Amino acid sequence: MSESAPAINLTPANIRADALATPGTGLRILGFAILIIAFVMGMRTPDQGLFLRTWMQSWLFVTSISLGALFFLIVHHITHAGWSVVVRRPAEAIAANLQWLWIGFLPFVFYWWKGELDFIFPWANLAALKEISLAEAELVAKKSAFLNEKFFMIRAAVYVLTWFVLARFFVGNSVAQDSDGSVAHTKKLEKWAGPAAILFGLTTSFAAFDWIMSLNPAWFSTMFGLYFFVGCCTGGFAYIGIVCLRLQSLGYLKGIITTEHYQDIGKLLFAFGVVFWAYIAFSQYMLIWYGNIPEETAWFLARQIGEWRWISVVLLFGHFILPFLFLISRWTKRWRGTLLFACVWMVAAQWFDLYYLIQPKIPHDIGAYDTYEQILAQYSNESAHFLSPWNWVLLIGFMLMLTGSTMRRLSSMGLLCIKDPRLTESLRFENM
Amino acid sequence: MTTLSPITAPVIQGNQIPRKRLYGIMAEFHDPATLMAAADKVRMAGFRWWDCHTPFPVHGLDQAMGIKRTILPVLVFGAGMTGTMIGFCLQAFTNAASFSIWALVWVTGYPFLISGKPLISLPAFIPVMFELTILLSALSAVGIMFLFNGLPRWNHPLLANKRFLRVTDDRFFIVIESRDPRFFASRTEQFLKDLGAKAVEMVEA
Repeated sequence: MSESAPAINLTPANIRADALATPGTGLRILGFAILIIAFVMGMRTPDQGLFLRTWMQSWLFVTSISLGALFFLIVHHITHAGWSVVVRRPAEAIAANLQWLWIGFLPFVFYWWKGELDFIFPWANLAALKEISLAEAELVAKKSAFLNEKFFMIRAAVYVLTWFVLARFFVGNSVAQDSDGSVAHTKKLEKWAGPAAILFGLTTSFAAFDWIMSLNPAWFSTMFGLYFFVGCCTGGFAYIGIVCLRLQSLGYLKGIITTEHYQDIGKLLFAFGVVFWAYIAFSQYMLIWYGNIPEETAWFLARQIGEWRWISVVLLFGHFILPFLFLISRWTKRWRGTLLFACVWMVAAQWFDLYYLIQPKIPHDIGAYDTYEQILAQYSNESAHFLSPWNWVLLIGFMLMLTGSTMRRLSSMGLLCIKDPRLTESLRFENM
Repeated sequence: MTTLSPITAPVIQGNQIPRKRLYGIMAEFHDPATLMAAADKVRMAGFRWWDCHTPFPVHGLDQAMGIKRTILPVLVFGAGMTGTMIGFCLQAFTNAASFSIWALVWVTGYPFLISGKPLISLPAFIPVMFELTILLSALSAVGIMFLFNGLPRWNHPLLANKRFLRVTDDRFFIVIESRDPRFFASRTEQFLKDLGAKAVEMVEA
């Protein structure tokens, strides 16, 4: 178009954030120290199962945020997207965390080495499971070709290695383009984005099966991998929004990220984080509810007893109904205050969702009751451990590490893909 | 034939050709920037019955023309919610009602227990409610859009104009209709020329 575009400030003061390096390092060290201390103390707590499940939940929370950002990059390249070039660098900084996030899996390797993996995964000790529930142990024994400790660890290594390589590939090529300006990087990323999407889908699905679904090894849901993937999108897209808004409030990227880009982040968050999540969560629930087979419904039963009843209701309203009504309007996605509120809310909803997925335990004696009401009455005092200190200590530790590392990464690689061939298109992007 | 507009187009040749009604004045521009500036001026001059025609969407033209946001989304939301309610009532009535209603013929509910579920079980109803929400939203979005735009219409005076053909290629047009209260042929023609139009032409209805 021949009309004059407003002058865009591409000086280092606007697109370099060297000042973030020091606080970033500080937050990262603080977070790491908290996690080390928490782990040493966690090994001595009486309820190691609770500690390990909380570790899994907090670690998967930050991992899912980074995976969501990685998915954003993959989709950006697969669709040859133009609009998202200016918000790609924050997404890359978040996805780059996958290069160290594998450290969070080491406690499980440690427990495996100690032979105590069954604190969290009941299938790791079939003899103990048999004493608690013979029927469940028989079911799980049939899955032992897949659910055994050695294969489990090999798979985990494959997942974290795949994410490591994908994050390095997508971030590395983009940063390399900043210095040499070659279009070949863009071409290469676009070419490999397709296979990367397949790898991403397979690894996140199976990671969800391994790390969350197998906490209740007799239970199964074929769409569980998709459920976790949607959770990744929820956390990832919302966190991208938060990082962009925060960078601009610190005085960076002025005039580069505009209302138009924010509206699109809001749309993605609305589509994936709110509507698609509800679609998947409801589909999973309805099929199991309609089928009404005991080994499937037990999983939802565990989320309806005691305090979990209220947690489920809060999740329904907090992850779908309220954000749906809030984000459906155009102005809430375009005004920064409301978008920031929605992003923070949805990150919290993703944490809450993982808490809901990972923490509840299916009572082993549910077969002994005749009616639903009897089980509800028996377990009316079931605690959700919401106020358990592990919930908050580990969350703070991992969030500090995620935020600190993202800040460090942003400071070292700049805030804008300055040589991207579609940068001009992105700077001029407007919604119709 | 009586003419309703105060102005008639100049008669081209021969007195056997009936005088035609004037549809409006069309101004041709060669680039979107001039068009935008012109649209801004036309809006400020207080015209109401006018439009811009471009080969591609021009960003910012809506603001330059002063087009207000449509209330279409609100209506579509209402239609969607209506679909949700129809979906629920349809299933609740057919699956749980033991009374009859008159809908062209007398119909009655047929309470039937399916896999031990309550007669009104919301989870089982949601897929149909969801689909009807989508159906009514989509149909009403298209239908109301047609209504607001005065569609369908079989012809338009501008389509008979030779010069206007290039609107699908590389020309940009502003057309002020003769029914606008501020329209006065000679003055409006001069006004459009002053805005940088490369050509200004009368368009017959």
